[in-house]
Amino acid sequence: MKRRPLSPVFWFLLPWAVIYGAFFVFPFVFSFVLGFLQYNPLNVGASRFVGGANVARLAHDTAFLGALRNTLLFVLGTVPVTTGLALGLAWMLKERVPLKDFIKAAMFLPSILSMVVIALLFKLFYAPGGALNEVLARAGIAGHGWLTDPSTALPAIMAMDVWAAVGYYALVLYAALTSIPEPLYEAATLEGAGAWATFRHVTFPLLKPAIGFVLVINTIRSFQVFVEVLVMTQGGPLGSTNTLVMLLYDTAFRRLDYGYASVIAYAVFILSGIFSVVAMRRMRSETASRPGGAAA
Amino acid sequence: MMRVLRWAGLIAVLATMTYPLAWMIAVSLRTADGVSLRYYAEVWQAGPFDRYFINSVIVAVVVLVGNIVFCTMAGYAFARFSVRGGKLLFFLVLSTIMLPKQVILVPLYILMQRMGMIDTYWALTLPFLVDPFNIFLIRQYLLGIPPDCEEAARIDGAGEFSVLFRVVFPMLKPVLAVVAIHTCLTNWNSFLFPFILTNSTSMRTLPVGLALLSQGAHSVDWGHLMAGAVISALPVVAAFLVFQRRIIGGLTAGMSR
Repeated sequence: MKRRPLSPVFWFLLPWAVIYGAFFVFPFVFSFVLGFLQYNPLNVGASRFVGGANVARLAHDTAFLGALRNTLLFVLGTVPVTTGLALGLAWMLKERVPLKDFIKAAMFLPSILSMVVIALLFKLFYAPGGALNEVLARAGIAGHGWLTDPSTALPAIMAMDVWAAVGYYALVLYAALTSIPEPLYEAATLEGAGAWATFRHVTFPLLKPAIGFVLVINTIRSFQVFVEVLVMTQGGPLGSTNTLVMLLYDTAFRRLDYGYASVIAYAVFILSGIFSVVAMRRMRSETASRPGGAAA
Repeated sequence: MMRVLRWAGLIAVLATMTYPLAWMIAVSLRTADGVSLRYYAEVWQAGPFDRYFINSVIVAVVVLVGNIVFCTMAGYAFARFSVRGGKLLFFLVLSTIMLPKQVILVPLYILMQRMGMIDTYWALTLPFLVDPFNIFLIRQYLLGIPPDCEEAARIDGAGEFSVLFRVVFPMLKPVLAVVAIHTCLTNWNSFLFPFILTNSTSMRTLPVGLALLSQGAHSVDWGHLMAGAVISALPVVAAFLVFQRRIIGGLTAGMSR
């Protein structure tokens, strides 16, 4: 029998498969295993199998429960606001406006900046002598330590996140908005539909897949909130801004508790998965949903 | 009425978006002895942002080249060849695009430590050479092009590698531009993994160096911090001003499909 040469597909996929297997698939599986161990980083042989002990710890760990609460507040408080504002901005851009390219550029700018840069910028913005307090002082309102007061620190970081994210999602929605065929709007106008009715019955249903996409990627991204917190508050004051990934970082790299950190990592993964699926379900396009169940 | 609302809204957006950035630049330039670049000079040398800058450039270039070559190969394979298990493999690629990367943070750190790669360029580049999103982009783009040119080249006796790199590669220019923008931006701004996988000043990248500067004795030294922030942002902002339409178009249009 003649030996066939290895197919070219094999060689084309090889670099991807090696790198992906070694630095993604393997760590992904390893992370799962780590969750069941009390891993000893100094003496791997001394690591112990502890079964579900790490998972059980979650339920009683006040640091975890606090971080979970803060992360959920962050996600539920920013994602709908960002999406709503982005939708409004996309709608504003749709008409002929002067300097449109300039406005689009200004809106897009934060999304090309590193979160570290943005976080530092807002740390200064919120600082005692920062821009926000200066503007408020001019209006006769007393200054406030936005990031040092436990009741305003998390909302301040959330407001920053909306600022940083809204422009990008507005432009994604704008791209989807401009792909809606003009005759549909003309037909709606002929039928005598007003601005709201047109939005409700033409624009929104056709935008649903795009809105769904925006909700999903923003939800997943928001569950990972970390650099902002590290740079601006280190999780404080009084743990009021401690998030799941901040806790994961603390657990793994300050307390060297790799097993428990892996469980927290999987919690982030599972939670963002659940929320994404819910968001996607709600925003499924009209044609794909059950007849009669079309209302959003 | 609608028009007034729209205008007011857009002006408000413009002000909100540009005001903090203008403030950042103002603070970085305002020194004790008037407007000067003193803070820039100081963080550049003592920061040491010159080193961070070089590291960021090295990482961006290596990761970019890796993604262009390897993702083109994989994307082409997934688009043009049907092999057993190919669908499953591609599904694996797709499903990891959205996965929170924190899941692999700890094990990747352990792996890098065991391989002695912590605090080297290997740790900063190797795991990021094939971004699944890029494979996806290239595959989708190729599915929209009929394979006629490739068939013709094969009939002329070209080998598979020269079909890919001589015939297909030049046709991929538009999608590779998007791949390049996405890859450069992601890696230039990346924080978490470079932060965890390095530990000496000489191996830090710009975002990591900047974050660390803000943690130490310089935590309220706003002049130096903002100068560092501007240095980190300048290359991407400059590229953005030049390739604005392409960047916005590449990263937003059709994303939601």
